[in-house]
Amino acid sequence: MLSIRDLHAQIGARKILKGINLEVRAGEVHAIMGPNGSGKSTLASVLAGREGYEVTAGSVEYLGRNLLEMEPEERAHAGVFLAFQYPVEIPGVNNAYLLKAALNAVRRQRGEAELDAFEFLALVRDKMQLMQMDESFLNRGVNEGFSGGEKKRNEILQMAVLEPKLALLDETDSGLDIDALRVVASGVNSLRGPDRAIVMVTHYQRLLDYIEPDFVHVLSDGQILKSGGKSLALELEKRGYDWVRQEARVA
Amino acid sequence: MSAAVAEPVAHYRAAFEAASTDHAGTAAQRAAAFERFAALGFPGTRDEAWKYTSLRRLESRRFPVRGAAAPAPVLPAPLTAYRLAVVDGRPRPDLSSPDRLPPGLRLRGLAEAQADGESLGALLRVTQGGGTERFAALNAALCPDVVLLEVGEGAAPEPIEILVAATATEPGMSHPRLVIRAARGSTARIVLRHAGDETERLVNSVVDVEVGPDAALHLYRLLDPGTRVFHIERIEATVAQRGTIFTHDAQLGAGLARLDLNARLVAPQAAAELTGLFLADGVRHLDTHVHVDHLAVGTRSLQDYRGVAAGRGRAVFNGKAVVHEGAQQSQARQTSRNLLLTPGAEIDTKPELEIYADDVQCSHGATTGQLDAAALFYLRSRGLSLTEARSALTRAFAGAVLSRMDHAAFAGVVREVLDARLERLLDTHP
Repeated sequence: MLSIRDLHAQIGARKILKGINLEVRAGEVHAIMGPNGSGKSTLASVLAGREGYEVTAGSVEYLGRNLLEMEPEERAHAGVFLAFQYPVEIPGVNNAYLLKAALNAVRRQRGEAELDAFEFLALVRDKMQLMQMDESFLNRGVNEGFSGGEKKRNEILQMAVLEPKLALLDETDSGLDIDALRVVASGVNSLRGPDRAIVMVTHYQRLLDYIEPDFVHVLSDGQILKSGGKSLALELEKRGYDWVRQEARVA
Repeated sequence: MSAAVAEPVAHYRAAFEAASTDHAGTAAQRAAAFERFAALGFPGTRDEAWKYTSLRRLESRRFPVRGAAAPAPVLPAPLTAYRLAVVDGRPRPDLSSPDRLPPGLRLRGLAEAQADGESLGALLRVTQGGGTERFAALNAALCPDVVLLEVGEGAAPEPIEILVAATATEPGMSHPRLVIRAARGSTARIVLRHAGDETERLVNSVVDVEVGPDAALHLYRLLDPGTRVFHIERIEATVAQRGTIFTHDAQLGAGLARLDLNARLVAPQAAAELTGLFLADGVRHLDTHVHVDHLAVGTRSLQDYRGVAAGRGRAVFNGKAVVHEGAQQSQARQTSRNLLLTPGAEIDTKPELEIYADDVQCSHGATTGQLDAAALFYLRSRGLSLTEARSALTRAFAGAVLSRMDHAAFAGVVREVLDARLERLLDTHP
């Protein structure tokens, strides 16, 4: 589904990604872990098409297409979804409006009929229940005045409504208490399926107790130093990141 | 006086002399008003009140005054059950609602009001000062009639719309004059809508408002004529003790528009809540000057304006609050937020405060910026096209003012005009 080869990216003159290689197949859940400043969020941003990053080398293929040439909305239409680390507050743009516009944009691309107001509400109510969100959220501005946990839940709500093929979760666990983490994780887990891939970027192993990954990768200084199964995350939790770096230097 | 100033004045003098056969009984006031206009002339580029707005194009035009026999224009659907149509400055009962005026309101023309003993000096009053005094004087000299609308004491009539239009298809000028008096304890909502097509013309409008003690007057103004229209308007409001004027302005149209909104809070606890929105796209030049005088103890004013400019559009906002000596415990707040959608657009904003009392609460702020890049990316990452995302954010920006427009039909039509214009301009400037 997603094939990243030797990806180099920088902001201004600062090189951040220094040759990322990653294969993600449908049905897989990948966790990318690493210390602060290792390039985790940059990787998620580059994949979603955020401006300000310059890709200097490498390629990203998504479902046979050159992902890097696609506009952010084209990526969304093609099934890429980024759950933001810091969801943006947009006063005056109604949450329900955004959800409906986003869903219908994606449905048009899939060749499906747009949902009318009733069908839309029925669908969203269902998903809001899953995310334990009150319906009053629909009539508020996008993320406006939401607490940290509410913002993250709102991200996963959007994801649950849009049903992407490739979900990128950028530090979705940060700032969540344990109850909120459970809700968010159950939202993500409800989307797991053979046709869908999930790439989680996280600093802590904690999230992986709730969303069990198939693969764990250690990102450090813009490169993936080590890949393994779920046990790697536990080892990182116990031993920190330094031993991976030392191991990589020795190799 | 230089030739450049004298020549356009000469054109207006000829128009004034031609119209003077209709001025029986008002000749002295009108002549004085015209001479005031002639003395002030057109503003020069050094005139501070016209710093960003040039009238050179208007000066070069020789618009005739439209006569009473001109054909009727096509009017938009009314926004209230009762509508009063004013065409070329004349009330047109034939184009107004067939129903009776809502109870609590009284409507008279100049001749009737004069016959009733109303003071001509008040009906054709020209207040001094500000950049548009000259045009208010010209209006007093040339207005074919005065629409005198009174809200009775303690009355709370149904909202009405005053639709101001000009004759279709023929270039010309008109000088509509409206006097609104809200008597003690009354509450009224008046929609003032300026409609127009793409015919080149000058509309020089004066709205003289008196808000009585404990009265509340809501004025909803929509300016949406075509891009070849020059529109100059002066709204003068005097507010008495505990009275409040609320204005909701949507300055969306004309090619060149200038509004001077002056509120005088003359008695204790008088208040003015002045809010508005302007959208200068294409080649429109829209200028709003708001001036509030706090002249008594405990007066309050709010100016909350949002502006959007795109294309080669240019907008000017100048908001001023003066707290005069003795106007203690007054509050004056001003906000001017502005959004530039394209690099060629320009907005000049200047909030000003002058305070001559020591026990007051005043604040002002102005911002001019572009759409937030992070918000744009967020919306696009959810599948909205760039145009949809820009439109949603622009509508959200304008929505903060729209949501205060507490007249549903008025807010609805403003939203419609805004949406249609945004769609067009965002398609042209991706």
